[in-house]
Amino acid sequence: MTYFGVAYLFMFLPLTLIAYSIVPQKHRWKVLLLASYAFFWSISKKLIVYVIGSTFLIHYIGIWLELLQNERNGILKEAEKEQKKKIRAEYLKKQRRVLTFGVLVNIGILLVVKYIGFIGGNVNSLLQTLKIPFKLQIPKILMPIGISFYTLQAVSYLVDIYHEKIKADKNIARLSLYLTFFPQIMEGPICRYSETAMQLWEGNKITYANLKSGLLRISYGMIKKMIIADRLNRFIGEIYRNYAKYDGGIMVAGMVLYTLQLYMDFSGTMDMVIGTSEIFGIKLPENFKQPFFSKNISEFWTRWHITLGAFFRDYIFYPLSLSEPLKKLTTNARKKIGKYYGPLIASAIALFCVWFCNGLWHGAAWTFIFFGMYHFVLILSGKIFEPAVLWISAKLHINREKAWYKGLQIIKTTLLVFVGELFFRATTVTSGFEMLGKMFTNFSLNSFKDGTILKLGMDVQDFIIIAIFTILVFVISIMHEKDISVREKISKKNIVIRWTIYYLIIFAILLFGAYGINYEAVQPMYANF
Amino acid sequence: MERLIEILEEIEDGVDYENCTTLIDEHYLDSLAIISLVAELEDEFDIVIPTVEIIPDNFNSAKAMWEMITRLQEEG
Repeated sequence: MTYFGVAYLFMFLPLTLIAYSIVPQKHRWKVLLLASYAFFWSISKKLIVYVIGSTFLIHYIGIWLELLQNERNGILKEAEKEQKKKIRAEYLKKQRRVLTFGVLVNIGILLVVKYIGFIGGNVNSLLQTLKIPFKLQIPKILMPIGISFYTLQAVSYLVDIYHEKIKADKNIARLSLYLTFFPQIMEGPICRYSETAMQLWEGNKITYANLKSGLLRISYGMIKKMIIADRLNRFIGEIYRNYAKYDGGIMVAGMVLYTLQLYMDFSGTMDMVIGTSEIFGIKLPENFKQPFFSKNISEFWTRWHITLGAFFRDYIFYPLSLSEPLKKLTTNARKKIGKYYGPLIASAIALFCVWFCNGLWHGAAWTFIFFGMYHFVLILSGKIFEPAVLWISAKLHINREKAWYKGLQIIKTTLLVFVGELFFRATTVTSGFEMLGKMFTNFSLNSFKDGTILKLGMDVQDFIIIAIFTILVFVISIMHEKDISVREKISKKNIVIRWTIYYLIIFAILLFGAYGINYEAVQPMYANF
Repeated sequence: MERLIEILEEIEDGVDYENCTTLIDEHYLDSLAIISLVAELEDEFDIVIPTVEIIPDNFNSAKAMWEMITRLQEEG
């Protein structure tokens, strides 16, 4: 079952909505929890045991952390002033041990399930290269759906308790619902306990306004995913599989259109997820904010997969760069190399860890690690050269606030994103470089003139449909960038115009959606990460 | 407060720090700028800013930063 499949859209979701609305408010969380477990079971079957087991563990660790905090507070009340510091340090140490255990177990399971094949494969290659006659037997382990998203939510929950931002949830059912809520378990957004747990528990009524608004958001997601992303699937697959057969012109098309496909697939799924939650009266955090209007790569990552970036920022970047050793490094470096470059050294170390984890989180392959390192280098060099760029701009009297300058920055950022996504999709890092190389050494428009481009899985009609709907998404993105809510605008129109728009959307999805015998069924692209 | 504004201007120029209340939300200060800022604030005001304090609410405006600084100074 996937979010865009018939079983989900016409059976699972409507039945859940009906059950949710007919039961009394205090029991609605049970419908959501049951639906979430049913959804998980429909995809990962017996691996549901993993979710149940790890929920018990996370619940227990959370309570353990809070018990230590309560114990500490009790002792502090009775303690003399000079003893307090020592008591705090002692309990911090105890808490840290418990937290480390909880985090390591969760991350450990993720590492084993997701990376054992990758690590084992690389060890075997190394043994072969060194001519050592030994081969590791790599066990085949099934991966539960959404484990990468689920694990990060679990880690954020435990760390937030440790930092006393939230209290441990004594109610295991509520914690379980927060961890497994069915619309988000497959692809996120990665939510914090403080953002969603209580909303999920409240059992808000399904209102007409929420239903209308949620369905519109879902249909926008369907346009992105089913009309644009899925239509591109065969074309992209052919280019990346058999790139050696084609010239540089086709490589450029493959690179640009893959980025388009990934954006439409992932952001379209997010529209589906957030729209579904909206119907239940639950507000999930946004995961995209018009990323292709970013003026640099740092900004891009605050607009693309926002909740993942925020997770790495809050749980890796800040704790690392503000840890005692790196703080000392910053203090010393500031004295020696100045206020700008001094803090940059500690930031660079933390940034390296963030991007290594980011790459690896996306998948167990060198292409993903390369993808992470590519962004690390871009962001760091952007910071290193920033003073020089500012100096040159000032000397040349360039007004960086002018539209033309911002436009150039956006184009530069978009080109850099294209290259990053090329490696992200490439079968190996080497093939990524070969594809990129072809754009410079073997560039030609012949494939466009002689019709080769139309033999790769998409015909003229496909290209026209993709172009029209991409323009539509682009126009809507501009409106969103200007803080104009398209859904609000539609809801204010009179009934005739409103329903004409609704019917147009339905017919567009039915007529132009890439489903049926001519198209391959496409799994959501981020579901495997 | 004046010194705080000066520090902010040294880190990222051209922002209306007196009135802006969305320094983090609107990306005027990115995470690298926050690291520089934390180092500078700890030095200048003789405080220790723990990771748990690095939240948008504490850094979205100069006023919020000032309140955090005063609070941390009082807590010693």
